[in-house]
Amino acid sequence: MAGLVARNARWEGQKDYRLLPVTPSMESTGASREFESQVLSVEPIMGDAVLLTVSAPAAVLSRLKPGQFFNIVTRFPGSWDPLLRRPYSVYRSHHDTSALTFLVRPFGRGSAWLSERLPGEQIGMLGPLGNSFTVSNRAQRLLMIGGGVGVAPLVMLSDEAATNGLDVVFIMGAATEDGLLAASELSNRIEYVVATDDGSRGHRGLATEVLGDYVQWADQIFACGPEPMYRTLRAVVEPLRINRKPGIQVSMERGMACGLGACLGCVVETTRGMIASCVQGPVFDLDEVIL
Amino acid sequence: MSTAATPDLSVDLAPDNSRELRLRNPVIAASGCFGYGEEYSGIIDINRLGAFVSKGITPERRAGNPMPRIVESPAGMLNAIGLQNPGIHGFVKKYPPMWARWTVPAIVNISAELVSDYAMMAAILDEQPAVAAIELNVSCPNIARGGYCFGWDPLMSAEVTRAVRAATTLPLIVKLSPGAPNIASVAVAVEEAGADAISLINTLVGMAIDVRARKPLLANHTGGVSGPAIKPIAVRMVYQVAAAVRVPVIGMGGIMGLNDALEFFLAGASAIQVGTGIFVDPGLPIRLIDDLARWLDGEGFSSLDQIVGIANDGFRSGQERPLATWESLGV
Repeated sequence: MAGLVARNARWEGQKDYRLLPVTPSMESTGASREFESQVLSVEPIMGDAVLLTVSAPAAVLSRLKPGQFFNIVTRFPGSWDPLLRRPYSVYRSHHDTSALTFLVRPFGRGSAWLSERLPGEQIGMLGPLGNSFTVSNRAQRLLMIGGGVGVAPLVMLSDEAATNGLDVVFIMGAATEDGLLAASELSNRIEYVVATDDGSRGHRGLATEVLGDYVQWADQIFACGPEPMYRTLRAVVEPLRINRKPGIQVSMERGMACGLGACLGCVVETTRGMIASCVQGPVFDLDEVIL
Repeated sequence: MSTAATPDLSVDLAPDNSRELRLRNPVIAASGCFGYGEEYSGIIDINRLGAFVSKGITPERRAGNPMPRIVESPAGMLNAIGLQNPGIHGFVKKYPPMWARWTVPAIVNISAELVSDYAMMAAILDEQPAVAAIELNVSCPNIARGGYCFGWDPLMSAEVTRAVRAATTLPLIVKLSPGAPNIASVAVAVEEAGADAISLINTLVGMAIDVRARKPLLANHTGGVSGPAIKPIAVRMVYQVAAAVRVPVIGMGGIMGLNDALEFFLAGASAIQVGTGIFVDPGLPIRLIDDLARWLDGEGFSSLDQIVGIANDGFRSGQERPLATWESLGV
């Protein structure tokens, strides 16, 4: 969700910035759902991305649902640039250690800043925000399809589904093998199907090309990735569906300001009108989204 | 949390209006940044705010602009939301009844393209007990004058202010456009036309271009620049306007903390609005109230009005001034 900022605009002299201590500001902020997290670990994943694990209050974890996101401050205290928070959906929650993991790829200045944090530093969080994926009571077979860092919320959803004894097929596409999620990141109960543009692993081509085999198997489909992927998804799935089954839920990627439905800067055009993706999304029924 | 700080933060923003606009403190959530209040009601204690201003309401419902509607800029942002709102009639059904249960004063921001539409909306709002005041957005194209922005011209700003004044006895705040070549003369004109207070500044019109796609980043091409990047411009304009008029001035533009707020008070603002800062830091307006009380107490002031305008030699002088001087031109 880093669409707001110019890509590849990494700072000059960023190593010097990294040495500055980040002042914790633990005073009351005056707002609920706002808290300071401590960075617990930063591990490389999927090429140039990182898994950023931060502390979070138990109360936050207990109400967090897959597909929800946090609006994260991506600058040093006292700096107003880059100004806006960045929305990140949760990759994984850890109830045992009271922590959250985010998948961060350095696209622009905010994500680059976030991906360069070190354990012990403080990060300003607002959340959980937004709606969530909804797994139907009658669904047993769930099909996930993720593009790039879009896999993040699907990992948390798959974790929960596997724990609840549901059958999960997880399809992921990337340019090359390096960009794929390692199979070890998913429960061994989950069938993991991959596609790469160069054929370095799995199917050679787009993830949406292997999708067809699973559509009629699935009770529900969940997707997260760039918008062109949803157009392809719709084109592939539509001829295979009967009475709009299986249903398809997608997480829409939008640049945001407030994250609370006030600014209407992140709307998604739907059959119901222009809808704030931060509050009534980011998860939408693909059938109602106008792409 | 708040300590024993006891200075008087209250402010009267419509001293000459019998319907009054007395706020318990000078911190107001700005239009467009606070929705209709309910969006933040679960995040902060909105009843602690001095007041809040609704999103801009128009005569008819508006779907708003296509996406993208916002883009970040250095220490700021551009927005072109396009006044997405339910229109005055849909608005009146939904929000004032909700506000009636709150204690925080609700100010309604109105926008239109015709003087008669502004007056029509003001007349409707006049009958709403839950509406504390109107903020008139004059940064709109006047379609009867070829789309020239009302707020850029003293006479057009005065015309719309006069029409709204005739349609309502509600406290009336006119929100000035920083695009005016001489903002003080617009301020004087709307004061004479019946404004109870003046707020400024609205966003500055800007643009950002996607170099790779070779086209503007915003679907609307241009958008309003806000945030810390515009603060010096806002402080300067508040300084000039506060010297030229006698009605209370409400300052805004890039306030992110106590020091920023103090600059506006010292320049002559009786109250402030926080906009973009709320997006980034939702707790900011409440924290500003506490920080301001603590600061005044620590500096030995017993009330906010003791610091308003003290950095402004001409504060509330209302003097006729040359349209420009070397000083006013920043030379």
